[in-house]
Amino acid sequence: MYILHIPRINESEKPRFFGLGLPGARMDPIIRYVIRRILFMIPVFLGVTVLVFYMISAIGDPVQIMLAQVPNISQQQIEMVRNYFGMNLPVSTRYLTWLWGVMHLDFGVSIFKVQPVASLLTIYGIQTLKLQFASIAISLVISIFLAIASTAYQYTKKDAVIMGSALLSRSIPAFWLGLILILIFSYWLGIFPSHGAVSIEENLYGNQILDELWHMVLPTLMLTSYNLPTFTLLLRSSMMDVSREEFILASRASGLTKRTVIYKHTLRNAIIPLVAYVMYTFGIMIASSPVTETVFTWPGVGVLFVQAITNLDYPVIMGVIVLLVVTVLFASLIGDILYAIIDPRIKLQ
Amino acid sequence: MKVKIFNKNSYWYFTWQRFKKSKFGLFGLSLVLVISVMAMFAPLLAFYGPYDNYALIHGPGIEAPPSAGHPFGTDRFGYDVYSRIFYGARTALTVGVITATLASIIGITIGGLAGYLGGQKDEGLMRFTDSFMLIPAFVVILLLVRIFSLLTSSTFLGDIPYLNMWVIIIVLGVFDWPPIARVARSQFLRIKDSEFVEAAKCLGSSTWRILAYNILSNALPAIVVLSALEVGSAVLSEAMISFLGFGDPKVVSWGQMLTFAATDMKTAPWVAIAPGAFIFLTILGFNVLADALSDAVNPRLKE
Repeated sequence: MYILHIPRINESEKPRFFGLGLPGARMDPIIRYVIRRILFMIPVFLGVTVLVFYMISAIGDPVQIMLAQVPNISQQQIEMVRNYFGMNLPVSTRYLTWLWGVMHLDFGVSIFKVQPVASLLTIYGIQTLKLQFASIAISLVISIFLAIASTAYQYTKKDAVIMGSALLSRSIPAFWLGLILILIFSYWLGIFPSHGAVSIEENLYGNQILDELWHMVLPTLMLTSYNLPTFTLLLRSSMMDVSREEFILASRASGLTKRTVIYKHTLRNAIIPLVAYVMYTFGIMIASSPVTETVFTWPGVGVLFVQAITNLDYPVIMGVIVLLVVTVLFASLIGDILYAIIDPRIKLQ
Repeated sequence: MKVKIFNKNSYWYFTWQRFKKSKFGLFGLSLVLVISVMAMFAPLLAFYGPYDNYALIHGPGIEAPPSAGHPFGTDRFGYDVYSRIFYGARTALTVGVITATLASIIGITIGGLAGYLGGQKDEGLMRFTDSFMLIPAFVVILLLVRIFSLLTSSTFLGDIPYLNMWVIIIVLGVFDWPPIARVARSQFLRIKDSEFVEAAKCLGSSTWRILAYNILSNALPAIVVLSALEVGSAVLSEAMISFLGFGDPKVVSWGQMLTFAATDMKTAPWVAIAPGAFIFLTILGFNVLADALSDAVNPRLKE
């Protein structure tokens, strides 16, 4: 006999929205989650930007502060510049104008650099991303090997050496390490450049890409000095937790080699927290960039931000804050999705 | 006369007994003690005052390499780097300890309330904590320090000595509490249902008494570990803020010393080495101390 299968929906689970089904209730859970998170981002974004905007305007008029340094400027000229930046409008109007611009990807014009903020953010942002991506990728690969070695040789000398050096190098202030690297490799040995992202005059061996990589070595090393031990310690402790679980014992007992167990079972189950942490590191990349980039005079968002808050260049400050919020929220979103893909036990809500 | 430091039956006495066995822990503790002594007795140990450019007039001049009179050399103003290290230790520890205290107070209040009240209030408070954790604090801290120092400099607040340093301390403390709140919550949650709390309730203790005497005192060991870590991270944050030029120009700070050292790297590299090395030792001291403490207060984890 043919029975039509009707799926039973528990009444309490049925999503209701004023008598209607909640929009997207029948969507794929991951897509629904993404949409919800993006909707959740909107109030966070508005809250942060309003707060920063009002705080900056509470200090005073940045245009006036800037023009105070210019000699022989008439009141009329000051008024003209202020009009250009919309400084004589009330703060709320300025904020709304700015917000309207942001919706059209127009972040205004930098007061000090007199360039569109959007193009500044793109140019500087790519440089920041380059460094951070290189460092995170290198740290991730090496940390997996170190953590595996550390777990495989648990409580032996090798483990102690790896753990000890990881703990030690995590305490080194990265910006100081950067200075020492410059001292040794740039000034004493003269192998690597001490600042900038490209050579001003002539590229290394006349090759642009080689030249850029050459400039990246020291800053990447400095960032890696923090990322690598952090990743290693996290992965090791997570692998230790997993290796105590019963299924690891069971797979060892079933005759699999130690190697297979570590690579196929322990590592796969232990890598989830690391994935989340790596995404977190990506998210805060703008927050961690000012110091690195200042040490190496690297033309990235960090340096841009430090210059902007020194000069109270509020369109740039706001632009960087927007970039920051967007990076953090998207990185955490991607992290959550990866989490759910890697570990099917985790349910997105 | 015998001075009684520990009650032999107290929890902290047993913790100390366990802590003593760890060589690393004692190493960390001694580093912390050395830095503290340096900070406390700075005027006695330093050869010159922090703003004494004696070397410029009578000594080897500015940017002089290390010598017997100036063990770490002199900087671009003719200040003795060795002496300034001691005054820098004062700033670093002041910022570190007060920030950690502030962060602990906020963290214990919020985490403790969440753990004790439970239910929806717990949910709400922890959501708040998590969203706070998501904030990339460093950029916000830089911005806030800059804005507050500009806002307050022209008002009556501008007369407060070392105002900028206090702003840094408060902003760091306000942003660094979430990890402490999480631990406080888990501890409060664990302890609030234990039998001795039930007993105290039956005896008619007031809620506040239970919170302070019974729960907090038992939750404290786990929180102290995080507070020790927080001291190290606050020292690093302060150094980075000062390094970027947003620190208090009126206090001697290791980060600020490194700012000038960075620009004089080619002519006077020795100026850069000592301040950074001491930041490293301070952070290392607190990290190692925290690590050993967490083993000592929670012996079950080690097994």
